[in-house]
Amino acid sequence: MIDFVQTTIDGVMVGASYGLLALGFTLIFGVMRRLNLSYGPSIMVGAYLGTLLYVQHGASPVAVAAMTVAGAALAGIYVERLCFAPMAVGAGVASMVSSFAIWMQLEQAAVLVLPRHTYPFPPLATGAPLMLGPFQLRIDHLIMLISALGMSLCVQLMLYRSRFGLALRAIIGNPVAAHLVGIDVRSAILTAFAVASAIGGFAGYLVLAADQQVTPMFGMWATFKGLVAMMIGGLGSTPGAILGGIVLGVVEAHGQWYFGPQVRELVAYLLLFGFLVFRPGGILGEPPTRSVIDRRSM
Amino acid sequence: MDDYVIGVLSNIGVISFIALSAYLLLLTGEISFGQQAFFAIGAYAAGIATALWGWPLAAGLAWGAATGAAAAILVGVPTLRLHGLYFAIATLAFAEMVRLLFELFSYQVVVDGEFIGPNGADGFRGIRYIFENDIGPLRFLLVIYGLLAATLAAFMLIERSRLGIIFRMIGEDEVLAETNGIAVARHKVLAAGLAGAVAGIGGGLYAHLTTYVEPRIFDVMLGVHSLAYGLIGGLGTAFGPLLGVLIDIGLLESIRMFAGYRMIIFGGLVALLLIVRPRGLLDEIAVHRIRKAWPRILAAGERQTLHLRRPQ
Repeated sequence: MIDFVQTTIDGVMVGASYGLLALGFTLIFGVMRRLNLSYGPSIMVGAYLGTLLYVQHGASPVAVAAMTVAGAALAGIYVERLCFAPMAVGAGVASMVSSFAIWMQLEQAAVLVLPRHTYPFPPLATGAPLMLGPFQLRIDHLIMLISALGMSLCVQLMLYRSRFGLALRAIIGNPVAAHLVGIDVRSAILTAFAVASAIGGFAGYLVLAADQQVTPMFGMWATFKGLVAMMIGGLGSTPGAILGGIVLGVVEAHGQWYFGPQVRELVAYLLLFGFLVFRPGGILGEPPTRSVIDRRSM
Repeated sequence: MDDYVIGVLSNIGVISFIALSAYLLLLTGEISFGQQAFFAIGAYAAGIATALWGWPLAAGLAWGAATGAAAAILVGVPTLRLHGLYFAIATLAFAEMVRLLFELFSYQVVVDGEFIGPNGADGFRGIRYIFENDIGPLRFLLVIYGLLAATLAAFMLIERSRLGIIFRMIGEDEVLAETNGIAVARHKVLAAGLAGAVAGIGGGLYAHLTTYVEPRIFDVMLGVHSLAYGLIGGLGTAFGPLLGVLIDIGLLESIRMFAGYRMIIFGGLVALLLIVRPRGLLDEIAVHRIRKAWPRILAAGERQTLHLRRPQ
């Protein structure tokens, strides 16, 4: 029983980071209706710049975090300008493949700058874990969970309480109509892209600070964990993204506890497949209709 | 030809099968991140057939194609009612499940005093059919390109037939196709099955070419690459994905001058190309112009009643 609860707690904590990754993803997908495969690699670029600062100049964790977030946002802007902004309305698949090509490019650029397989990443909190009765709670994991919930609230407030959020929601509803009422659609999309990549960068920083190392594989990991959590939570839903991440984290933790690390990933994909076949809208998203996810726009 | 050139050409030929497989689904408007699953299933099935059961190569490859098609139909039935991103992610989830299951799959038989067969994450060694039967690299190259030519001919026939027009019609507008009396679901499952068979043949050839397969080769990178080949080379003709493979593997992977910078150049070029031509180099318009400029093919081209236009 104690093991079960401890595994669940660990799952929730790791899941919070999946949720943060999904939050940035769902913001991009919600606004663009297009898949940005370079989302994770943009975060990796930020993380590599952060670790470069750490390894070469011994920068403080705060500076590394700022660098990671800023680098991810810059890489996100680069991706948006090259793969999304110039594409015509019907060319969603081209955008996706283009973002994949840029993924390869960013990954190779990162390897050229820092050629070793792993680099150290500064830890966020090194103190002993908190004890709640018989249960352990790592401090950096707790920060992860609180940040995930706080960030999800911020995104929700931004979407529903600010003028910028209103503009974004108008674009989500109908980009042409949004343009006609005077919203600068292109610059709003660019800003949303940068914000989403920055959220991803923040998530990436928290994950890497807990792992204390970064590899070039992180980009792929972040893209797919964010994607899976987003789909389970429900496309376009901010609370859903966090919830989906936590569900994914808990299921993975239990899969690993009962069946070992090879099955961990297997149960995660089984969960995703099951959701897509039986409840494609995810936990909180709306079920897809042909008009919502028009294949032309994807 | 020296061995290096033969190796590169063999690689191009084998990867062309999975690129064609992803292309066939793109024609019906579906994006699949999961064709590597059927490539993997074909590779394991064909390898088991020749190395463990002592089947001849042709039977092994046919078995690989059949299992690939069967798996594709089985997974196509529940997933093909999904659209766009939902379908793409479902195929991704399926393919990753297949890969992870192969990491757990062990089936070993004693052949000539040693254990061979799939052994979980350690992979499947000893698919030595082409060595045991004295098929040299050049002859196997001919086998690969013979089958590729046959597959291409089949694609050409399909694209010129009513079936090909139905596929493109579904890809253009599924609802419109349905209101025109086309059984959309059945045709989509058929396309998925054909695509699975093509990937299965490619997988079988791959297993015999390398004599060794392991689950991690069949990861999502292979799937996204095969999807990208069609989009780079062009969606107007089955030669498009082949051109994509040729550009990537033939030009960039093989010219060592680019080592270390290959993806920086290639990634940037692909991104720029897709801005100018979102449906690839050989898109529908390019294919149409080539047909017009080439009178011998004109007669066949005129039979195409397809609506040719760039998507707006």
